[in-house]
Parts: sequence; C-alpha cells; structure tokens
Amino acid sequence: MTPRTHRILVVEDDLSLARGMAENLRAEGYSAETVHDGENGLARARAAEHDLLVLDVMLPRLSGLELCTSLRQHGINTPVLFLTARGDPHDRVRGLEAGGDDYLTKPFNLDEFLLRVRAILRRWEWYRGAVASTGSLRFGGNEVDFRSFRAKSWDGRSHELTEKEATILKVLAERPGEVIGRDDLLERVWGEEVYPSTRTVDNFILRLRKLFEREPQTPRHFTTVRGVGYRFDPESNAS
Amino acid sequence: MTAAFPADSSRVIRVTLIGLLAFSVLQVCWWLVDQTHFAEGTTHQVRALYTADLTAARRMEALGVAPDQIAATFPHIAREANGGLVITPSASEDLEASRRSHIKRYTWESGFFLVVLAACIGVLWRGLREEREVRRQQDNFLALVSHQFKTPLASLRLSAETFVKRQPPPDYARELSQRMIDDVVRLESMVTKILDSARLERGRVEFRKQRVDLASAAGQIVTRLAEHSHQHGVVIESTIPPGMTIAADPIAVDTVLRNLLENALAATSGEGGRITVSARNDDDEIEVIVDDTGVGFDPHDARRLFDKFHRLDTGDRQSNGGTGLGLFIVDRIMHFENGRATAFSAGPGKGATFSVIWPAAQTTP
Repeated sequence: MTPRTHRILVVEDDLSLARGMAENLRAEGYSAETVHDGENGLARARAAEHDLLVLDVMLPRLSGLELCTSLRQHGINTPVLFLTARGDPHDRVRGLEAGGDDYLTKPFNLDEFLLRVRAILRRWEWYRGAVASTGSLRFGGNEVDFRSFRAKSWDGRSHELTEKEATILKVLAERPGEVIGRDDLLERVWGEEVYPSTRTVDNFILRLRKLFEREPQTPRHFTTVRGVGYRFDPESNAS
Repeated sequence: MTAAFPADSSRVIRVTLIGLLAFSVLQVCWWLVDQTHFAEGTTHQVRALYTADLTAARRMEALGVAPDQIAATFPHIAREANGGLVITPSASEDLEASRRSHIKRYTWESGFFLVVLAACIGVLWRGLREEREVRRQQDNFLALVSHQFKTPLASLRLSAETFVKRQPPPDYARELSQRMIDDVVRLESMVTKILDSARLERGRVEFRKQRVDLASAAGQIVTRLAEHSHQHGVVIESTIPPGMTIAADPIAVDTVLRNLLENALAATSGEGGRITVSARNDDDEIEVIVDDTGVGFDPHDARRLFDKFHRLDTGDRQSNGGTGLGLFIVDRIMHFENGRATAFSAGPGKGATFSVIWPAAQTTP
C-alpha cells in the first residue's frame, strides 16, 4: 500500500482511542507509536524523526496547539493532523495557524481518518520529492533552502519558514510566470477535504511578500491576479 | 451554544440601565430646582398680595370702616400697639413654613423615587450578573462535556469500525469488545454524574443510613480503578484499616469516594503518579483523605473547585478529566450528610489533598 514505512506519532490522552488509532495505522502498513500527554509528545517528536504527528488538541500538561507551535519554533516541520472534540470554525483556524495540516473532529470515521493520513503523507512525500530535485530557490536577491526551511531575504535577514510557507513557495516556484488559482493552491497545500478558506491562502501570500518583497505594498514577485489567484515571477526586479 | 441573550445584548442592557439611572438623577435634580423656584415664586406672589391687602386695609381704615370688619376681611393683618396696621408675623412665618414644607416634600419624594429606582436597577443588575455566571457555567459545561463525551464516543466508534473493517481474529475481537464496553461504561458514568448533580441541586435525594465499612467501600473503588490507573502509570492504594465505620448512605459514600478518586486519577496521569486513600478518627469525626501527586492547584482556587462546572483556566490544556461535576457532587452529598468536603494544594504541580469529613453523630462504634 505504501512505498515505505512511514513513522507516525499519536499523542492522545485517551488510551483506548490512542491504541485504536495506532492499531489501524499499523494495519495500513505504517509504523505507529503512542504517547499520552503533551510534554512526552513534545519530547518524543523532538527525539525521533516522524512523517506525521496525530495530536489531540486537549492534552494534559501541554496542549496539542502548544506542542505544535513549540515544534515549529524548534524548526521541526513534520506535518500535524489535529484531533479535537470541538469542531467550530474558530478552533479549526487556530489549529491551522498553529502549524497544523489538517483537523479532524471527534468522533471521526475510521476511513476518513486513514484517508486524511494518506493525503497528508502524500503531500509531504511530494514536497520532499520536489525538494530532492530542486532544494533551493533564488529570486530577487532572496535565497530559500527548502530542505532546512530557512531563507535569507534581499536585506540580509534570515528567516525560518513554516512548512506551509515553504510548500506554497514550492508550488508557486514550480510554475514560474503561470497564474495559480487559490483553490488550486489550497488543494495542493492543504488537500481537498481540509479547505480552511481562500482567505487563509491570502494571509500566507501576505506573509511571503513581507519576507521577500522589497515593497510588499507593490509586490513584484508574488502578484495577485484579481479573481483568479497568484503568479510568481522570479525574474522580476532581479536587481 | 445556547444563551438567553448574547454578551453584546447584556452589555447594551447594562449601559442602558446606567443611562436610565443617570437620566433619572438629572431629571429629579431638575424637578427639585424647578419646585424650589416655584415655591419661591408662589411665596413672593403671596407676599405681594399681603402687601396689597395691607394697603387696602389702611384705605378702608381711612374711609372709616370698622376695625372688626377690617380684621374679619384681612385675618393676616393685625394692629400694632401704636395703632398702625401690619402683616402679622405668624402670616409671614406660615408662608415661609409652607415654602419649606413644599421643597422638603419634593426632596423626600425625589429621594424615595431615586432609591426605589436604584434598587430596581440593582435587582436587574444582579439578575444580569447571575445570567452571565450561568452562561459561563454553560460554556464550561459544553466545553468539558463535548470533550468528555466525544472522546469515549470516538473510541467506541473507532473500535466498532475497526471490527467491521478488519474482521479481527477472536483474541483481538474480544479486546475490541472489551474496549467498547469500557467506553459505554465511561459514557454511562458521565450521564450518571449529570443526572446526580441535577438531583442533588434540586434536593431530590433520599439518604438511607446504614453502617458502612470505609475500608471495604474504598477498597472496591480502588480495585475498580486499578487497571485504569495502571495504564496511566499511577499507583493507587487504600490504607484505611478494616473496621472503621460510619452511619451513612452506602450509595452516597460510594459516589463520594469514587468521584474523589476519579478526580485524583485525572489529575495524576503520568509515570510515577501516586494516589493514597487514608482515614482517621479525630474527635469523633471520621475523615477520609485522598492524597495525590498530580497537577495540584492554586490554593486560592480551593473553594471554587467544588463549584458546579468549575474548571481551572488552562486554555486548551486539559486541566482535569470530567464534567466539572464530580467535586460538586461530592460537596452536595457531604452537605446532605451534614459533613463537609475540603481541598488543599501547596500550588500547581505540587499534588493535592481532598478530604471528606463525617460528623460525630454519624460515626459508629
């Protein structure tokens, strides 16, 4: 089913649920381990490399959101699937803003859970494959290293990119000069089922402009094509 | 989320009430000023009339009208010792007294009106505050219940779907079945707590006192929770000596001890955690103490822990498993048992001690 054994860490305080998820993941050919509180989850995620983290939002000691934020701050960009009992849009947005890739509300359907795991791993695989062929990007005096998620902007400042920022940049950079629709970006970066809103894409583009444009108000590399999407022009303003 | 009205409406109502009170105070002040002017104007007019009457009386006297007739026509005019006519001092005093009385009456009535208005607004204000507190409790309840219900439901659904999807071998099938049963028991326990708290809140409870052996009661619960606590890396033990008994409702004792231990277990998850149940007979009171090495709490929160739907503010971190009803139930039952429940912690991360105390009359030899 899967080309290689993906390692998945499940951080869920409910033992029965955690065990059930791990067993099903193993049955699908993944390698799965479980941890039952946020602090141990953070320690485990930092100690070993994983392909996916499944995080409950409400965890003892350290919440799933705090765990995810902390990982991102440490430069660990492993994809995260959040599980939560609360499914309102506000919580979903908070999860995605904390660096999560997907959000599943309890109680969930087993097939849907496995589908989402597969989709995230597929996107992550695509990213790693794309990065393997072209690991860095140079445009307008900026330099991006997709492997380390680090970038140096035209003014000499260094930046840590989130996994989402790097993926959006990678998707745009793959098709320079072409218009890429917002929905297309959402599908490529978040997946079909997860759409937060096209507004989320706009926010990420704004962030990329702040990092890499000399004049973010009048962007030259990340231009908006009204009503359609965005275009990436690496050569523009290559001063 | 359900609420009688949204927070914005509540704020609008509060601002309106303050505005109403301020407007009423200004209106009353204006009334007082107006009535003072009115009373002074009236007094001034009456004085002018008295002066005109004095002039008329003097003319009548000059025309030879009899003094008796003048006195009958103008009772507020008197004759001085030297024979001259003047306005009587009492008439002036009466006029002044009438003016003062008028202003006084309005001052009192206005004050009374303002007091009544302020009291009504106070009652409404209090109602709004209570409404807000109820809403906060409902929000807490919904947040906790959604987590505490949906997690076992998720586990139950996952086990059931695993059963269908994997067609498990007999051993695994038995394990999945046991998990499903455990999840149903958890859900049942949640429902029981909610119903218990509703009954206790309305006082619809009847306690049938019997002789209860505490060591046996605590031992049964410890045994029931042992597997769960072991899975969480928590050691749970009872050191209550056999023979220590109280006169109490056995179901109530079981509910109290179970809720205390479940609360301790939820707060203690993690390797090396320990929960100890002990008891002591002190001045004819029997105290059952549950010590844990768990997350603890701020000592200032000690009393609030027993409030309905209370939960420590820890953001998305899970502060304590449960509905926020367990300790409320303990407190209410101890109230009906004429006992009391207490909580102590040296601070967050330093464990906690919960105790329940049965009074002298309920201890048995």
